[in-house]
Amino acid sequence: MAISRRAESFDLGIPVDRREPRRSLGGQLRRWVPIGIGIVMAVCMVVLAAAAPLIAPLSPSAQYSDAVLKGPGAVDRHWLGTDEFGRDILSRIIWGARVSLQVGLASVAWGFLLGVPLGILAGTLGGPVETVIMRGTDMLMAFPTLLLALIIVTALGGTLLNEILAIGVALTPNFARLARSLALTIREQDYIMAARALGNGQVRVMARHVFPNALHALVVVATLYIATAIRTEAGLSFLGLGIPPPTPSWGNILSEGRQYIKCCPWITTFSGLAIMLAVLAFNIVGDALRDLLDPRLRGE
Amino acid sequence: MVKYVVRRLLVAVPMLLGAMSIVFFAMRILPGDPCVAMMGDQASTEALADCTRNLGLNRPLAAQYLDYLWRSVQLDFGNSLRQGYPVSEYIARMFPHTLVLVVSSAVVAALIGIPIGIVSALKRRSPLIDYPLRILALLGLSMPVFWLGILLLIVFSLRLDIFPLIGGGDLDGVIHMLASGEAFTSPRDFLAAVGDVLHHLALPALALGLTLAATVSRLSRSAMLEVISQDYIRTARAKGQGERAVIYKHAFRNMMLPLLTIIGLFVAIALTGTVLTETVFTRPGLGKMLVDAIGARDYPLAQGAITVFTMIIIVVNLVVDMLYAVVDPRVTYR
Repeated sequence: MAISRRAESFDLGIPVDRREPRRSLGGQLRRWVPIGIGIVMAVCMVVLAAAAPLIAPLSPSAQYSDAVLKGPGAVDRHWLGTDEFGRDILSRIIWGARVSLQVGLASVAWGFLLGVPLGILAGTLGGPVETVIMRGTDMLMAFPTLLLALIIVTALGGTLLNEILAIGVALTPNFARLARSLALTIREQDYIMAARALGNGQVRVMARHVFPNALHALVVVATLYIATAIRTEAGLSFLGLGIPPPTPSWGNILSEGRQYIKCCPWITTFSGLAIMLAVLAFNIVGDALRDLLDPRLRGE
Repeated sequence: MVKYVVRRLLVAVPMLLGAMSIVFFAMRILPGDPCVAMMGDQASTEALADCTRNLGLNRPLAAQYLDYLWRSVQLDFGNSLRQGYPVSEYIARMFPHTLVLVVSSAVVAALIGIPIGIVSALKRRSPLIDYPLRILALLGLSMPVFWLGILLLIVFSLRLDIFPLIGGGDLDGVIHMLASGEAFTSPRDFLAAVGDVLHHLALPALALGLTLAATVSRLSRSAMLEVISQDYIRTARAKGQGERAVIYKHAFRNMMLPLLTIIGLFVAIALTGTVLTETVFTRPGLGKMLVDAIGARDYPLAQGAITVFTMIIIVVNLVVDMLYAVVDPRVTYR
């Protein structure tokens, strides 16, 4: 066998015994508590972002000249302090959740939509189609996600849409690779042979049989990539290549706050904390989902 | 083996070519004219036209592209638009800074991540050891390196004043002293210079190393879990070997193999990390150079930096693949 580091086939364990071993209360807790925590955190973030106008105590762009660079609690109405223009950090962070979440979800969806069909096509058809697609993804994989996103965003300019586009494209090869390796395993299964024998065409086999069977593994990975996308967005904004100020995003709040770390460390501290919690939430959910859905870890 | 190496090399060529093409065309559709960026908005039309001609930007795109490819192969990336001198010279000056950062953070990551991963695997499901360590790893994985960097700066540079806030120390001086043999004639100066470089390196290496350690610990945990469930571990135990010998002599060595394969991935993560880390710590290096070059619309410099980044990643992956085959005799080449 040739050596392949990335494209190992996934053990889907298709004929798994679906009966779960009976679990103790401790086992059930271990199983569900982490995913619960992660989901609660992620849902909180979504609510925060969606209802930002209702939740944020103040306007994110209002400048309070009487409260410039004030620490948390120094002025009653600014719980997490203010920045150099006297803007309320808490409100900016709540509004910033919108950018992070929009980019996180949309870019993953975009990467999924681009990458998964390509991967399934490559894995199911094989031959020259596979070679072309996989060499293309190899090429893109030579760039780390942030670097590729950085190149694209630089070329197109930093707007919300371009950021989504860039991070989505940067994630595409990851989805394509995974989808291909899943398809490689699935296409060997008996039910695919049965589907073919029944006279289903290639497209139908891929859409109705290969894709649904690859879906759960893809969803798990997509959750983890939301975390990657949020971190990448924050990184781009931090480098000044993301959404330009004054629109608040966690990365640009942090970047602006960098000049004031000497006097006012709260700006960078809280915005960074927000990034970490968001990334953490999706990492926890993804990890927990993987443990739940990966048959190799079942009944352990 | 030779056939395999040749084939792998041949695959790497179109990859590199493709990656370079992406860079070239991405840089060309950039909004903003490098001449305007250099000379300002006030420059006259003639001066701008002159500048465009001098830089060769008025030639057909295809000609520029072929020229770029041909010269990149020779590691000639043209001259920096802003600084004037050759990009390759610039890169050669910045490269050691990035190299020491990547290497030192890899050391930090390995020293912290591997033991944590092993302990976590051996004490699997222990609520006092495995769970806290895994939570710690998850936190490290979720922490953006630039935030950790800023926190370290706030505590160790601003509050405690132990480490410098910016800069990378006089690495050029150290290299020069080594090259000229001065390091051996006046070792005291040399050690002082090395100390200064390490002093500047400590926080960046710690920031990048800790975030990488999270990945390493998770990978070593799963590698260790995989290994200790193998039959040869049971055999080792069955023949009465102590647990310590089983872990060190049998499990550890086998665990390092899968870890080796992720070095390629690791280099990619670490290089990306340097872009952010060098920016946070205002440290010279390829990553900082790239960000500055993009900001200044310095095409050749940005192109050069990205090309070098990509080359490093492709070459490291190639070497790791081959190394893997050398280390693990079970792997055969085709």
